[in-house]
Amino acid sequence: MSTATTPVSGSKGTLRRGDRNRLIKIIGVVLITLSLMFPLAWMVIAGFKGKTEVLRSPFQFFPDMWDPKNYIAIIQDPQFSRAMIITFLGAVIFTVLSIAINSMAAYALARLDFALKRFWWVFCIMPMFIPGMAILLTSFMVVSQLGMLDTLAVLIIPGVASAVQMFFLRQFYLNMPVAVEEAALIDGASRWQIFTKIFVPQSAAVFVVVGIGSYMAYWNAYVWPILTITNPDLTQIMQFLGNFRSDRGNEWGLLMAGSTLAALPTIILVLFFQRYIVNGVRISGIK
Amino acid sequence: MSAITPTETITGQVAGVSPGLRRRRAQSPRVAKHLRSNRTAYLMIAPMVILLSIFVIWPLIYAVYLSFFKISFYKGSEFVGLQYYMFVLQDPKFWNSLVVGIEFAAMVVPAGMVISLLLASFIKVLSKRMASFMKVTVYVPAVISTVVASVLFLFMYQDQGVINWFLSLLNAGPVAWLNNPGTALPAIAVPAIWLGLGITTLIMLAGLLDIPDSYYESAELDGAGFFKRTFYITIPLLKNILLYLFVTGFTAAIQMLDLPLVMTNGGPVNATTTPNLFIFNNFRGATPYATSFSLTTALLLFVVLGLISVLVFRLINSDKAVDG
Repeated sequence: MSTATTPVSGSKGTLRRGDRNRLIKIIGVVLITLSLMFPLAWMVIAGFKGKTEVLRSPFQFFPDMWDPKNYIAIIQDPQFSRAMIITFLGAVIFTVLSIAINSMAAYALARLDFALKRFWWVFCIMPMFIPGMAILLTSFMVVSQLGMLDTLAVLIIPGVASAVQMFFLRQFYLNMPVAVEEAALIDGASRWQIFTKIFVPQSAAVFVVVGIGSYMAYWNAYVWPILTITNPDLTQIMQFLGNFRSDRGNEWGLLMAGSTLAALPTIILVLFFQRYIVNGVRISGIK
Repeated sequence: MSAITPTETITGQVAGVSPGLRRRRAQSPRVAKHLRSNRTAYLMIAPMVILLSIFVIWPLIYAVYLSFFKISFYKGSEFVGLQYYMFVLQDPKFWNSLVVGIEFAAMVVPAGMVISLLLASFIKVLSKRMASFMKVTVYVPAVISTVVASVLFLFMYQDQGVINWFLSLLNAGPVAWLNNPGTALPAIAVPAIWLGLGITTLIMLAGLLDIPDSYYESAELDGAGFFKRTFYITIPLLKNILLYLFVTGFTAAIQMLDLPLVMTNGGPVNATTTPNLFIFNNFRGATPYATSFSLTTALLLFVVLGLISVLVFRLINSDKAVDG
């Protein structure tokens, strides 16, 4: 056991040395975890503090009593809970649409041969190199001319087609063995059937990775919602937090409780799918 | 040994994407050539192409077009040629924002990369269980939204906040972190580093795990310590990944918008006005031609950053990107 924990050092040392190494590593893990998680832990703790103790001097680390009243209060704030629900709803639709659209294009660009393929490949990949800020204003003009302002569609539709995600999926499809496809073609399957019956079922892992990416992009969006949404019924969660900060900036306990709850869905998602995310780095082909 | 061992068949097939990527040109197209499938292919790329045309390509063309005109809501547009480009290039505030952006990137990227390399090197030597725990720990901050990070650090930087409390333990402070032009930008860089660590570390770790252990073992036999091993083995062998992370990190950092927008809104005295915040605030600006002006600024920035990204993309996607 102790030698297993020192794979690189190659030490043939005594059990004692192995134990010491192991201890140092455990201390390292604990210290790193504490420092990386500290801001989040602090946010959770502050959510439990009362209005006066949250920034009290002399400084106090833990609350007098662990009273979840801020958490209850923020959930009971109808604007907050509506923002959470509407953002979640939007994020789910956004994720599903984005997987569908990007994977279809990725499949065609990876596995099919068609006229002007190279042109369309460049066309679809080009947005990767266009910074959002360069087209923010004109995109806003476009969506307002289309009458999309203040609808759920303005939050979902413009960002659904994503060059980055398409590139990622195409990378995956390029590496699928060609034999399966050929066998299916011989059996008379159409390309569309091959995509839906063979490629899609095999894509679960990669869909999880790009899906989490889409979900996060939607859930965490701030600038686009504050430009396009003024209807309080459609306020997005990050927009809510930003507004809360400028309107009721002194109520830190409530704000921290709200931020904690707003961060929770993505954290849960990551914990749930951690294995896929770690592998996702490899699928991306960066390394 | 390697903690990232894709066990599933699906991910197993793509474990070695990098070599596959390099080989692709030789092998491609990996399709049954005799069957052109124009109709299916066009139907499949149609949604993507249409959406990108409406919401990305057209806005870009429109932006370029508008940058040559004086837009007014009261009378027709007037062609002014490159006038706005001159205005932007002559505006000291534009150059100031560029300097702020570069300073910000210079704080965020090197620090983030050094910390990530240390973290990745540490995770590499851990046992499998501890390594998977650490990978999650490192990754969790990466999914926190910039807005949540902004309000959280804003809270921590308060006069009676936790950071000044730490300082008081050392008999220093309190420092008005965000109200002082000298400390505001570094104070914003800290959450940016924190948010960025996860992905950088995981990518570096994936690279580290591809370096054969025997290199380190023989170096160790020769008595090379951790820093020697890092400088003579790790860094040279990771140079493509490091270059990739450096450039993408740099272009991302220089485009930072949310953190300064929520935390300081560019203040104090424009010390945290990054280029994108400069542009964004000009969009909403009161001066009559602020819109055209900011549009032009955005385009200028786009040309530079876009070129950098294209170069990097070509590099990682080319045959030159050979490790070691």
